Amino acid sequence: MKHKLLAMLMILVLVFGLAGCGGSSDADLPAPEEKIAADLAGTTLKVFAAYGGKDEIFQAFEADTGIKVEYLDMSSGEVLARIRAEQGKPLGDIWFGGGVDSFIAAQTDGLLESYVSKEAEFVTDQYKDPDGYWTGISLVTVSFIVNTDRCAELGVDVPQTWQDLLKPEFKGEILMPNPSISGTAYTILSGILQTMGEEEGWAYMDQLNAQIPYYAKRGGEPPQKAALGEAAVGLAPDTGEDLKAEGYPIVSVFPRDGTPWWPSPVAILKGAENLEGAKVFVDWCLSEKGQQILRDNCPRVPAREGIELPECLAEIKDAELQDIDFVAAGNARDGLVEQWQTRYGQ
Amino acid sequence: MNSGRHGMGNKLKKGVPFKGTSFSDLLAGLIYVLIAASVLVFILWPSIAIMVKSVYYDGQFTLAEYIKLFTQNKQLLLNSIFVSVFSTVLAVVIGLFIALFVSHSQNRGKRLTFAVLLLTMISPPFVSALSYIMLFGRRGIITYHLLGLTINPYGWHGVVIMQALGHASLAALIILGVLRGIDKSLEQASLDLGADSLRTLLKITIPLAKPGIIAAALIAFIQSLADFGTPAIIGGNFSVLATEAYMNVIGLYNLPRAAAMGTLLMIPALLMFIIYRRTVENSEYFSLRVSTESPLKLSRGVNYSLALVTASFILFQLIQYITILWGAFAKTWGVDFSFSLRHIQAVEASRLAAFGRSLEYALIAALVGTLLGMIIAYMVARKKFPGYRTLDFLVTLPYMIPGPFLGIAYVLAFHNKPLILTGTAFIVVANCIYRQLPISTRAGTAVLTQLNPETEYSARDLGASEITAFKDIILPSLKPAFLLGFVNTFTTTMTTIGAIIFLVVPGSEVATVQMFNAIKTGQIGVSAVLANMIILVTLLINLVFSYFILRSPRYGGREKREETYVPAIDGIK
Repeated sequence: MKHKLLAMLMILVLVFGLAGCGGSSDADLPAPEEKIAADLAGTTLKVFAAYGGKDEIFQAFEADTGIKVEYLDMSSGEVLARIRAEQGKPLGDIWFGGGVDSFIAAQTDGLLESYVSKEAEFVTDQYKDPDGYWTGISLVTVSFIVNTDRCAELGVDVPQTWQDLLKPEFKGEILMPNPSISGTAYTILSGILQTMGEEEGWAYMDQLNAQIPYYAKRGGEPPQKAALGEAAVGLAPDTGEDLKAEGYPIVSVFPRDGTPWWPSPVAILKGAENLEGAKVFVDWCLSEKGQQILRDNCPRVPAREGIELPECLAEIKDAELQDIDFVAAGNARDGLVEQWQTRYGQ
Repeated sequence: MNSGRHGMGNKLKKGVPFKGTSFSDLLAGLIYVLIAASVLVFILWPSIAIMVKSVYYDGQFTLAEYIKLFTQNKQLLLNSIFVSVFSTVLAVVIGLFIALFVSHSQNRGKRLTFAVLLLTMISPPFVSALSYIMLFGRRGIITYHLLGLTINPYGWHGVVIMQALGHASLAALIILGVLRGIDKSLEQASLDLGADSLRTLLKITIPLAKPGIIAAALIAFIQSLADFGTPAIIGGNFSVLATEAYMNVIGLYNLPRAAAMGTLLMIPALLMFIIYRRTVENSEYFSLRVSTESPLKLSRGVNYSLALVTASFILFQLIQYITILWGAFAKTWGVDFSFSLRHIQAVEASRLAAFGRSLEYALIAALVGTLLGMIIAYMVARKKFPGYRTLDFLVTLPYMIPGPFLGIAYVLAFHNKPLILTGTAFIVVANCIYRQLPISTRAGTAVLTQLNPETEYSARDLGASEITAFKDIILPSLKPAFLLGFVNTFTTTMTTIGAIIFLVVPGSEVATVQMFNAIKTGQIGVSAVLANMIILVTLLINLVFSYFILRSPRYGGREKREETYVPAIDGIK
């Protein structure tokens, strides 16, 4: 309650303050964003987050802006289900990271606030919504998490391509999540269909399906089971750095004949209480410094141009990123998933 | 009129007669009305909110989702029923064996058994499934490394086994509560008339425990129907309604279909509930005099089989918990089992805030929820107001709804006027209270059904107010049920994630959410540490609470009498 009042007061001060400034010359005033940031110091921003290294990232943000971040770790499907039920009165301000398809769905439902950050000009058009409903902060790339011990047992080389997964040795050894729950799996499906073409794409999926013992119901399961040796290959939205650090006998491979990927966005929720603070947050995430901090705490390809890749993703330069139209993929989702379900769901 | 004869069921229906108006009785009436109203607000209202979602969306009324379900997903419904029936029967049989072992056998190890039962109530989500995979997976320690088998643990059989073992503890505790209250003189009579111990067990003891057995079955069945975690992790290709419903919310964002699936889940649960009511209503046995010690000297064969089942259960569970414990200290879970403290060092102090929050929520939910459950049990089993059946059913309802739905239902119901509660800690606690209410209420009614109401009648005749009678007569005899309700509510609040993920707000994370996230990011060791912290603290509080509940001689001079109703617990004395 106290926070609410405080936030309201801040916004009032802000609105009247800015309105009052209208007449005077701009020259003798501090730059508006500095003023905003100063006024917002001490306010709180509530964030739904699906991102690595959150604690470090949000601490750095607080150090830079004075805005305190409280977050809740939720998968993007959970965030979407929740903000839909909350009907435009969300109990959070920011949605940070996740599958772009959920963001597109939320945008369609009118649950996001449009905000074109001035920093967004350094982000390629393909990674962002033109009206600023969401803006990519990093790229998530799909890789094979391969258990080398299991491969040795099976007497087969570490797979490098999608075609390699069809080798008879890998029968029953490949795990991927169900595309109806996993953004990773859906991106794989739509990426393959978009790059191979409908007919060839489904033919490939048929063959891949024959290799897969069952579809996981959580996105994090395939890499974990690959680490434990329950399967040779798990398809994952990251390179499994945490699992590698734990000491599991795994390597990660970007499929050389086309790596599926998607932008992981940040968005302001419609009805956000701390709207101005949320804007500062989006600006910060996309700024050069923010992008470096994001990269250092969660190894992904930065969305902003000119930011160095994280070390563990160096190989991505040799991989071929698939050419994917995300808005088309997002809109085709229901139909594709339905089709997938009838083919392989039972 | 108040001196009801032994087993006079019809007299009971009229309940305790009205004895003039006193302030205290008015207060009692007010409490009943308030409790009934709260059930309407926190159970009926959100349930309606989610059911409406299944037939009314995009601005119009439609049954399309139901038609689709019945035409395309019949198999899912059948799978759900198959797994639930199978695992329920198994859970109840195992539970009954364990309960009989603790209450009737002459073996040692009852204390250990009781402690293991309390321990196995605490099963943090996903960690148990992970340890199952580690033990029995394709590369499992037992199946692969020890026995050299490469079996596929994923499928319906894994789900049935895990659910049965998971629900057996609760079933055992419920049955135990009832078993210890039965009139041992009936067993004595059977023996005196020449029946052997096995025959007495089958013809007297078990039929007398029927309210407990049926209550345990109802709870196991419903729990299994609504369980989406186990089939999701070890079901492999085998899908049930609850998992599909979960995937429809989280994955397809299709709330109407998920709501339809959720509503459909309630049908078998409802049938089960009707069966339960019938059985319980027809089995009002009361005991006049209760003796602590059973006169039964079980034959060696019976004794051994009870001990065998109990021992296997304990062994299996202990192995699983040891695996989790080991996981916290093993360098790399599943690969390198050498000792290491690195996971414990990795747990930061910042996590403790969430831990404290979990503890606070769980304590409040357990105390309030259990007391509420006991009063409702009294209202349903004794007072029998008009509409008590409806109340009884409503109380069971939240249990039939899979966790995530109840979370979403609460958001739908309490996010707008007239009652805006979302974003508060109150709603998180309320959700935990009402979701677990069925267990407390069921345990309470199971004990009350079997308890002779004469003592209350006498007390009332002697001028005790209704509240005094409840406090001094009913509550002490409900101790085992109270304990069970507390342990269950406290434990589930400490360990669940399904419903509250939709109700906690940024900045008020709870411990399980953190543990789940550690698992998601592959820090299996760290999540094992967190799981152990949850297990340890929960177990400790459960034990301390059990100790105080059972030890406190608050009703001085009547300790002897209490003994008779509480013995479920003498395992830990």
